[in-house]
Amino acid sequence: MLCRCLLVLAAIYTLSAQTFEKTVQPVLTKTCSPCHNERMASGGLNITGFTKASSLTSDRDGWSRILAKLKAGEMPPKGIPRPKELDATIEFVQAEIDKADRNTRPDPGRVTARRLNRAEYTNTIRDLLAVDFRAEKSFPTDDLGNGFDNIGDVLTISPVLMEKYIAAAGTIARRAVGGDPLPKKPLELQLHMKDKKVRRVDPSTIEGTTHIEFDGEYTIRIGLPGERAKDAAPVKLGFWMDGKLLNTITAETKPSGLVYFNPYSDETMRLYIPEGDHVFRAGFIDDAFVKTLDAKALYDSRKNKYLESITFVGPYAAAVEKPSRKKILICDPKTGQACVDRILSTLAHRAYRRPVTPAEVAALSKFVAMAKADGQSVEQGIQLAIQAMLVSPNFLFRIEHDPNPTDASKVHPISEVELASRLSYFLWSSMPDDDLLALAESGRLRGQLDAQVKRMLADPKSAAIADNFAGQWLELRNLDVVKPDPQKFPLWNPDLRDAMKTETKLFFDHILRENRPLAEFLDARYTFLDERLAKFYGIEGVTGPDFRRVELTTPERGGILGQASVLTVSSYPTRTSVVIRGQYILNNILASPAPPPPPDVPRLDEGETGEKASLRQQMERHRADPTCAVCHNKMDPLGFGLENYDGIGKWRSHDGKFPVDATGTLPNGRSFATPAEMREALKSQLPQFARCMVEKMLTYSLGRGVGTTDRRTVDDITRSWAAGDYPFQSLIFEVVRSLPFQSRRGESVTK
Amino acid sequence: MITRKALPRRAFLRGIGTAIALPMFDAMVPAMSAATPKQPLRMAFVYVPNGIDMRHWNPEYEGALGELPRTLKPLEPLKDDLLLLGNLTHNTGRALLDGAGDHGRCCGSYLTGIQVKKSTSDIKAGVSMDQLVARQIGGQTRFPSLEIGLEDARQSGDCDSGYSCAYTNNLAWRSETQPLPPVLDPRALFERLFGDGAAMTPEAKARQAKYRRSILDFVTSDTKKLQMDLGPTDRRKLDEYLSSIREVELQLQKAEKDNAQIDPHMDKPYGTPADFAEHFRLMSDMITIAFQADLTRVVTFLVTHEGTSRAYREIGISDGHHPLTHHMGNTEKLDKVAEINLYHMQQFGAWMQRVKAAKDGDGSLMDHSMIVYGAGLSDGNRHLHEDLPTAILGKANGTIKPGRRVVFRRETPMCNLYLSMMDRMGVHMDHFGDATGRLDGVDLT
Repeated sequence: MLCRCLLVLAAIYTLSAQTFEKTVQPVLTKTCSPCHNERMASGGLNITGFTKASSLTSDRDGWSRILAKLKAGEMPPKGIPRPKELDATIEFVQAEIDKADRNTRPDPGRVTARRLNRAEYTNTIRDLLAVDFRAEKSFPTDDLGNGFDNIGDVLTISPVLMEKYIAAAGTIARRAVGGDPLPKKPLELQLHMKDKKVRRVDPSTIEGTTHIEFDGEYTIRIGLPGERAKDAAPVKLGFWMDGKLLNTITAETKPSGLVYFNPYSDETMRLYIPEGDHVFRAGFIDDAFVKTLDAKALYDSRKNKYLESITFVGPYAAAVEKPSRKKILICDPKTGQACVDRILSTLAHRAYRRPVTPAEVAALSKFVAMAKADGQSVEQGIQLAIQAMLVSPNFLFRIEHDPNPTDASKVHPISEVELASRLSYFLWSSMPDDDLLALAESGRLRGQLDAQVKRMLADPKSAAIADNFAGQWLELRNLDVVKPDPQKFPLWNPDLRDAMKTETKLFFDHILRENRPLAEFLDARYTFLDERLAKFYGIEGVTGPDFRRVELTTPERGGILGQASVLTVSSYPTRTSVVIRGQYILNNILASPAPPPPPDVPRLDEGETGEKASLRQQMERHRADPTCAVCHNKMDPLGFGLENYDGIGKWRSHDGKFPVDATGTLPNGRSFATPAEMREALKSQLPQFARCMVEKMLTYSLGRGVGTTDRRTVDDITRSWAAGDYPFQSLIFEVVRSLPFQSRRGESVTK
Repeated sequence: MITRKALPRRAFLRGIGTAIALPMFDAMVPAMSAATPKQPLRMAFVYVPNGIDMRHWNPEYEGALGELPRTLKPLEPLKDDLLLLGNLTHNTGRALLDGAGDHGRCCGSYLTGIQVKKSTSDIKAGVSMDQLVARQIGGQTRFPSLEIGLEDARQSGDCDSGYSCAYTNNLAWRSETQPLPPVLDPRALFERLFGDGAAMTPEAKARQAKYRRSILDFVTSDTKKLQMDLGPTDRRKLDEYLSSIREVELQLQKAEKDNAQIDPHMDKPYGTPADFAEHFRLMSDMITIAFQADLTRVVTFLVTHEGTSRAYREIGISDGHHPLTHHMGNTEKLDKVAEINLYHMQQFGAWMQRVKAAKDGDGSLMDHSMIVYGAGLSDGNRHLHEDLPTAILGKANGTIKPGRRVVFRRETPMCNLYLSMMDRMGVHMDHFGDATGRLDGVDLT
């Protein structure tokens, strides 16, 4: 029987090998190899490896890429005659690849043990201990792989990071338990204009950054030199930390009546300040008076009362018990070992995200004993045990176990406890909560998977998907890195930048939470704005700093490609780039990136536009070169479609002295003349966009790159997602149900 | 700032804001090296990205240094300590059938001498030469090596044409899959080198060290238990973890042994300065101190990343560095590139003058150093990997004869230089990367 099968297989093989030699090979050798040979390897491709029929099975990835180019009509390029066997070649190769896909056993792939990245560490500490620790300020940047920073293979640990882990664990444990005594005498810290420790944001506001070493209450004194007129009204004095208004009080501004050489007063408040680096801001809110002064009088102590310094005195013990202590000290550890063990096993259970053994608890409780033997308090001992826990690989890594770790053929569902962590780190970028873990440990999680995903998506913690998935998919995180030229873009400032980021995150979050169709990313007739951004967009009727949903009534904006965040990260510091924007759309919407320019081909000179020739004229000239045209025909039209937005996304009708020409044609023949028409045209490519999203979401959810063996999964998800116009949450449900998310296999030991 | 040290830190104020005049650090030099007549040799690499305009780098002569070209001008006062090397090539930075991505590749291969794997997630380079040295002699100092940088990594997107950002974010590679990310924040570097400034009694300090050791023991045994039933890749991940743990352990041991509290005579920096020159100065001053106090002998300094689009508004250049280097002969752009090259060199030159002024044993720290300033590309416009700009500062304990320009045969592997440098550091290798031998015939001395 086996023998007959093999014979049949061999016969099929011979047959296809014959067709391959007759149909495919001549195309490859005659049409492709003059450019794609070993020496030139145009576009990074050397066709020699594909001239044997066996390559159809051995390099399906490579063939898929070739096939995509042939089908899109990008290859052979203009000027090279199209061989008559080309259609037969495409049909044959496609059929072979489909067959190979069908015949391959479903393969869940393998996810490498992942250490927590910075966002996950921050969130996990928040949920485990109720401590606000910001890993992005303490740990080195996590490297990216496949566009995301949660890819197990590239998340490494260096000695520097290890030092940071140990130090951070100590700080976090100390802050969580608060077992160390505060300094006996309160300390004083002053941020003063004269030392340049604060800067003036505007005439009524000062801001300074500093490090606070202890959690605790502080007396905060705001120094206010000067006085206003006798009949001056009191003003509202606000105090902010890290952009959040903590407190307002009323401050008197008229002369005190006391005789001072230099009029001066201060206002005090007492507030709880957590340890860490903070940006403090103090200012008069809605201070109409300063608008009546000319610049010379602003800091004249006879004419104005203004801000000059912020002084902290503290720490003092907080009146209210910290939430972290409530979370940790579930019984009084002074009552004895039983309580200490209970505290430690509860914590370790949550920190390791799995049941813990008595031996593990015993090992942790040794730290308490050690501290006590040194004359430390039992709370300090618990601190030490927590520090050890937070350095343990059981906490820092998400490790999944295989029954047969070195046998790649054995596929098995991951355990429910492992599934709980996969879910929580996918949807929350954090640890599982007690409900999820309890379900998993009692073996009831798979039975109610959809209900759990629904619950988790409804939880505010799922905003992590907008932060971490959308932040990287749409490259929003680069907003912190880009530096638009202040001379070219005088409107650019950190507040506008933050508003741009908030708009796109709220927009993404809305589509996710409200389960809106995928197409709304391209053409939504609404967005989320505050006054600042609305003004920047030229939209009226939005007042105040709160973001709200705004209906779009003109065709200028709509969808992510009309959002300033996206338009800024896809520009140069001084100007727009049709190439970068085109490539951005190909990468992030259509999953069809153009290959990088071949070596030694100079990049396009887009720089001198607006002066000597229009950008379009320059680019058309460039595209006359056939080697460049292949890719630029694909990228540039998409970029041109966005030329109505300048380098920070402001609408414009002219670039320099030339009117903007936003006409273009998509590779599939649809043409457009405005950004709005381009959005419509892109909607004709919705299936490609859906596939792109599936690949990205799968990558992000698994923490590994998506490859050939996942093609079937990607196809399946894309197909079933299509029902009902790609409602966004369905993508999440489909990914969670998919084979690679639910299972794993061993790893073959041969390299 | 409110710190656990209750006293204001007035004692440290004199370090800050002064351009030169590092205090004499004799007190900080540990007894061990004072007993040895010869000062240890220090090695550093300072890497600048996107190539250098070679028209302003290569003098027209060979042999004794005369007038220096535009970009090298800031080294004019240091000519006696400067050795310029010509025609060194990194062949592994070239495409070699791997297609585009010269920026990712040239940085990845710079110290590893390896053609790195083209992948966005499955990273693979090789152990870099600084780490080979650190592995062998690093045991003699508290830190086997220091990795320093000035520019934060990209937060999203691709880095270069299918190459993982790991290749452009790092110079030093501890193993073929484990890059060592540079420290960027001056405060983080300060705390790493000199402690967090908390005033602690000797007993409290000893107790802290004991606890740290116990934690390290605890997590080591956790890891070994975990590793038992894992596949090879996961096991390798935990091996990385373990080797980092071991290094921290060694540091701890060494810190206890020499027991010297190093007072760097500078204020603890706060945050990362927005000003490039100030950031460069802070980081480089700490390297100087680390060398003088023999905290380490091996440093890699990745000034900014290959492909960076950083704009240098400090000197009136608002275009990004990388787009400018694709100047295609445009003179205005070429001039801006030269300005950026010069600006980098001014920071480096000022640092080297401070190194020269820093006392070390019976001479200057410069006498006991070899500090390479270089780039992984020569022409950034055409992505050329030959005649890489390479300058060595320092006399390397008398094993380098500076004050000259030496031009080797074309296509001489950069790795030949590395073999010669490793020899001087006491690491004798038969092969490294694509080296064909030591820098023979025209050796450094």
